[in-house]
Amino acid sequence: MQRIIARRLAQIIPLVLGVIVLSFTLIQMAPGSLFDVMTAEQQVTNPEMLEKLRHLYGVDQPTYVQLFKYIWSVITLDFGFSYRQNAPVLDVILQQLPATVILMLAAIAIALLVGVTAGVLASVKVNTIWDNLISLGAVFFFAAPSFWLGIMMTVLFAVKLGWLPVGGMRSIGVEQNAIEATFDVMQHMVLPATALGLFYAATYARVMRASMLEIFRLDFVRTARAKGLSRTRVTIAHVLRNALLPVVTLLGLQLGTVLGGSVVIEAVFSWPGIGSLLFDSVMSRNFPMVLGVLILGSVVVAVANASVDLLYMRLDPRIRAR
Amino acid sequence: MAVSRAVEFARRFARNRAALVGLVLILAVLGFAIAAPWMFPRNPLRIVGRPEIWPFASWRFPLGTDSLGRDIAAMVAHGARTTLLIGLFASLTATLIGVSVGASAAYFGGWADEALMRFTELFQTIPNLIFVLTIVAILGQKIEYITIAVGVVTWTPIARLTRAEFLTLRDREFVQACRSMGMGDLRIMMREILPNALPPVIVLSSLVVAGAILFESSVSFLGLGDPNVSSWGRLIGDGRTLIRTSWYICAVPGVAIMLTVLALNLIGDGLNDALNPKLRDR
Repeated sequence: MQRIIARRLAQIIPLVLGVIVLSFTLIQMAPGSLFDVMTAEQQVTNPEMLEKLRHLYGVDQPTYVQLFKYIWSVITLDFGFSYRQNAPVLDVILQQLPATVILMLAAIAIALLVGVTAGVLASVKVNTIWDNLISLGAVFFFAAPSFWLGIMMTVLFAVKLGWLPVGGMRSIGVEQNAIEATFDVMQHMVLPATALGLFYAATYARVMRASMLEIFRLDFVRTARAKGLSRTRVTIAHVLRNALLPVVTLLGLQLGTVLGGSVVIEAVFSWPGIGSLLFDSVMSRNFPMVLGVLILGSVVVAVANASVDLLYMRLDPRIRAR
Repeated sequence: MAVSRAVEFARRFARNRAALVGLVLILAVLGFAIAAPWMFPRNPLRIVGRPEIWPFASWRFPLGTDSLGRDIAAMVAHGARTTLLIGLFASLTATLIGVSVGASAAYFGGWADEALMRFTELFQTIPNLIFVLTIVAILGQKIEYITIAVGVVTWTPIARLTRAEFLTLRDREFVQACRSMGMGDLRIMMREILPNALPPVIVLSSLVVAGAILFESSVSFLGLGDPNVSSWGRLIGDGRTLIRTSWYICAVPGVAIMLTVLALNLIGDGLNDALNPKLRDR
């Protein structure tokens, strides 16, 4: 098992290298010299400083040397310096990352909980009013842009009803102990996580329903029933377990999209994560920061993907055997 | 024979009520997009009345006016053009890349397959919206770049599907016959295999249009879209500051996005079912 894990983790390396090369290509595509833009944006005018930076970024060298320099600096975790925050890019990103990861995890949890429950319910009550209502809901949430859903939920639950905070991650200017603070963050998280998660809940509900129905027809289910197990027991212990596999696959494939989606949701709810940082950096043309977010975001997704694959192996012994 | 197959296909599609609803909806959106210059001949971003008139409150402005007094109906109708065009062209870009990559991977096999699939995996790993925003940040907020960027992040499922289709066709007798006749690789791929592999790919492309529209709306919602064109996402972004008093400014264009995406999804599902009638009975 350890060897499998090691091999799966090793597959991340070429992916990350690919992302770095791609980022480098993007810089090369920039109109004019990116270096000029960078120095102009950050208002570096001192000629001595310019020369130092020029050398630092290797602008005076051939492209392939620049590429290797770039790869090397990223591998050694040097993403450059952000003058806007007056701190190394990596430090700023790592500081913002936890908020985004928490939001993503909450959104995925909501998506799984709502999606799987709805899918199972629809498959057990197939072709009834329940099934139809769930399908209708899935079609609706599958088409609604998450940021719009977020705004509409804010109007209803925060502005009109006043049940939940409008945005941010913490209440400002309140003394709180650890438990109160956790509860406070959770309260702030309900709307953004739901807005982000409902799209995926809709996907999972549809996939779950289809895969449940498919497995219900298989022989081993009939055997289990013939053995005298109750319908509920068969549904949960036999069908549900097997039907979850496609959902896990999908979850792995969609992690990058969830991270992308959280960028927009963070903008809607002023959530202090990677998304807000990226938005601010795009606006201020802070390229080292933008590329840093792109590369580190990809690394997060690649690692999470590998974890999902390993989880999949735990769930499905057939894959482990291979 | 081809005609009767098409008729049969249309008949199966027409039996699907949800798909028909989708078709009607998309035709309505298309109608608005085409008729926008006649229905609202003036610049939609012009101020025409009192600000913040609620929808249905005035005959002149059926969908109300925004914070500046611009006609929301006019902006939504004109926005439909942008949204549909971007969705269409982004999906075309994605289909072009996806089909090329998937077809080459399956046809040539071996290390080419390995390399191209790793490439596909790379684009699957990159958080797509972050990638689009990076391109916008570097190249600038122009509608062409945004469209291509959206295409570049949505082609991976098309590549995978094309590869799967090509794999099943690659070693069929008719392909072997072409090969033994000395036909070139490119010609076999384009003229012989591709037409057989295309129907499911086209269905997927129609779903990619829906995804592309959602992407574009996110980008313009963030205010990073092309400042020179009106789009639905941007309308929502503009209206955001007024949700306490006039939340309808956000609500109306959002409903438009939702209905369009919903319609495309329903059509895609309908096409899928009509293509694989056996799957539907499950």
